Amino acid sequence: MNVHTYEKIWLVASLFLIVGFIATVVYGAAGAGIAMVDASGGTVDSTSLSENERFGEPGVERVGDGEYEVTVVARQFMYQPDPIRVPADSRVTFYVTSADVIHGFQVVGTNVNTMVIPGQVAKITVDFDEPAEYGIICNEYCGQGHHDMEGKLVVVPEDEYGGDDA
Amino acid sequence: MATDREMEEIGHDEFDPVGTLTLITVYFLILVGMWVLTYFVEFLGNGPTVVG
Repeated sequence: MNVHTYEKIWLVASLFLIVGFIATVVYGAAGAGIAMVDASGGTVDSTSLSENERFGEPGVERVGDGEYEVTVVARQFMYQPDPIRVPADSRVTFYVTSADVIHGFQVVGTNVNTMVIPGQVAKITVDFDEPAEYGIICNEYCGQGHHDMEGKLVVVPEDEYGGDDA
Repeated sequence: MATDREMEEIGHDEFDPVGTLTLITVYFLILVGMWVLTYFVEFLGNGPTVVG
């Protein structure tokens, strides 16, 4: 088979593209440490969240040196707790579930984003290096008050962080 | 008239569609540029990001 030189050029170029796409995603996972939201959060009985060990008391809990766990319940049309306060330079794991219908949990302007499904716990870990103030919005249509469903996430400077309940 | 014109026979490798090559090169560079922009600038640069 006689393949024209130009044709060889764009065959090789298109192969390079495919390899390049895969390589960048591999770099993102292995090098930059990007993770996907998976099923590791497990399941929960959404009809009795108030009796649940974790979701009975939504809030921020310090679990280690610079490590925090935030339990969030999304319901029509709010997030509990609101606002969420965590210190800067910390690693925060969010456990998010819904008490009613499907919601979204997106920290606005960042890649922190997950669906919130009743019965499922979305577990996502995020590093907050700098103090900042973020909005949290619901990006799944959840009812007539959907457009009002928002929360706040405040990353305060480490020395100003007053503890779990502050 | 066109039918009277002398035809030139060329071989397989003498046919060089330079215009097509240029066009594909331009498309290719746009594609690579857009991928770099979306992945490295818009996605990885848009921290904080889910890490676990």
